[in-house]
Amino acid sequence: MLGFLEKYGLFYLTGGWPASEIGGFAGTLILAGVGLAVCFPLAILIGLARTSQRHAFFISATIWVYALRGIPLLMVLLWSYFLLPELTGHSFTPFTTAMAAIIVYESAFMAEIVRAGIQGLPKGQMEAARSIGLGYWQAMREVILPQALVNMIPSFVNQFVSTVKATSIVYIIGVSELTFVAQQINNVEVGNPIRTYVVLAFFYFIPCWGLSLLSRKIEHSIKARQSSAAAVR
Amino acid sequence: MASDRQGAMVELRGLEKSFGSYKVLDGISGAVNKGEVIVVCGPSGSGKSTMIRTINRLEEIDGGSIIVDSRDIHDKAYDINTLRSKIGFVFQQYNLFPHLSALQNVTLSPIKVAKMPKAEAADLAAHLLEKVGLKDKINAMPANLSGGQQQRVAIARALAQNASVMLLDEPTSALDPEMVGEVLQVIQKLAEEGMTMMVVTHEMGFASKAADVVWFMDQGRIIEKAKPEAFFNNPTHPRLQKFLSDLLH
Ligand SMILES: Nc1ncnc2c1ncn2[C@@H]1O[C@H](COP(=O)(O)OP(=O)(O)O)[C@@H](O)[C@H]1O
Ligand SMILES: [Mg+2]
Repeated sequence: MLGFLEKYGLFYLTGGWPASEIGGFAGTLILAGVGLAVCFPLAILIGLARTSQRHAFFISATIWVYALRGIPLLMVLLWSYFLLPELTGHSFTPFTTAMAAIIVYESAFMAEIVRAGIQGLPKGQMEAARSIGLGYWQAMREVILPQALVNMIPSFVNQFVSTVKATSIVYIIGVSELTFVAQQINNVEVGNPIRTYVVLAFFYFIPCWGLSLLSRKIEHSIKARQSSAAAVR
Repeated sequence: MASDRQGAMVELRGLEKSFGSYKVLDGISGAVNKGEVIVVCGPSGSGKSTMIRTINRLEEIDGGSIIVDSRDIHDKAYDINTLRSKIGFVFQQYNLFPHLSALQNVTLSPIKVAKMPKAEAADLAAHLLEKVGLKDKINAMPANLSGGQQQRVAIARALAQNASVMLLDEPTSALDPEMVGEVLQVIQKLAEEGMTMMVVTHEMGFASKAADVVWFMDQGRIIEKAKPEAFFNNPTHPRLQKFLSDLLH
């Protein structure tokens, strides 16, 4: 086992990098991390639209969210793979294609987190903000989002965890992320697939488990703070 | 007196509003003159909150019109944020911003709406917090303040808008009994200083001391408007008589 890790550890971690595009575990984390980071401002806008009184915004955002939540990531991935070059006239690396698919797909889930975070605040917060003369965007920026975003942290962490796992599917278009790398190792080490895939499982399990614990911890501390706030009242 | 249009700060003309088929406001008319304190009371569900919330457009009306400081508030050219900055609103649940300190709660509107320099806003807020008796709580977070203290910060926040009228919707109803006095005292002081106010409250002691006129609302209508002495001593409407006798028991 040690020999196996010594031989393939770095390959698991970074794929063929630096000779080729970064991949492996790092590729997986980048896909999920950068994907969600780029997604974040988008998700805020879609989430705001989901709470909007303006029908045009609300309806378009709702269609966006429900459509994406109703299909598997794999489908968005294949669309990006075949449609993106067709639509833009450029060709994209598998990594970029996968990134685009993840950003689009996750925007729906992230937007719902934003919506729930905003709607989870007492109605009186928006009313008070507007009553002192703040406009809608000012009220969002100064009053609603600073509170809502803190409450959203655990959900964002959970979404990151589920995105890390979901990215495994992008190996299908040849992105050299963690699962793809394991596949390649398995092609060489044909005698012991169990070892190869157990190590793969641990690479997914450890960060996801750690982050799940972290998210639960953050959730508890937020709850504790809120209830102490309520108790003083 | 209520028809003195020259001096009217707020004028309600035939307000109508329904939630679905339920008529909450059924022809509300009345005026709050400059410097006057109107106390509004009436049974729960009679439409008091809805009425007071239409004045800063937290609720929209289906019919009638509202004039604040000589302007029709539904005039398309009248910016809603400008309107609201002229009206201080105090909520039953305080609605302080929990992520901001007492001082920051009070400076938010001066800085963001009135574009006041930060230092000047901080001076103003410190002065107002002192006025409501919270000089030593300037940097406290809302979570660390009692209900009465939070409501006094909320009053300071509304005063910081330099509003021409204050609307208070049951400002003491959510408070523990021992904190009601400190908040009423602050409101009473504002009344004495000549602040124009509309206060929804069931604190009849406060009403008889501070109100110029008391309105009694029932089923979306104002069925009695009278000076406090007449209101309490010679109520004419049977429903008001019942309301007052219920309050005593
Ligand atoms: N947003 C709303 N939707 C439907 N009904 C409402 C809404 N707000 C208030 N109501 C109803 O309107 C009536 C008057 O409410 P309100 O103005 O809060 O009365 P009050 O403040 O005098 O207790 C109540 O019956 C209440 O249930
Ligand atoms: Mg009410």
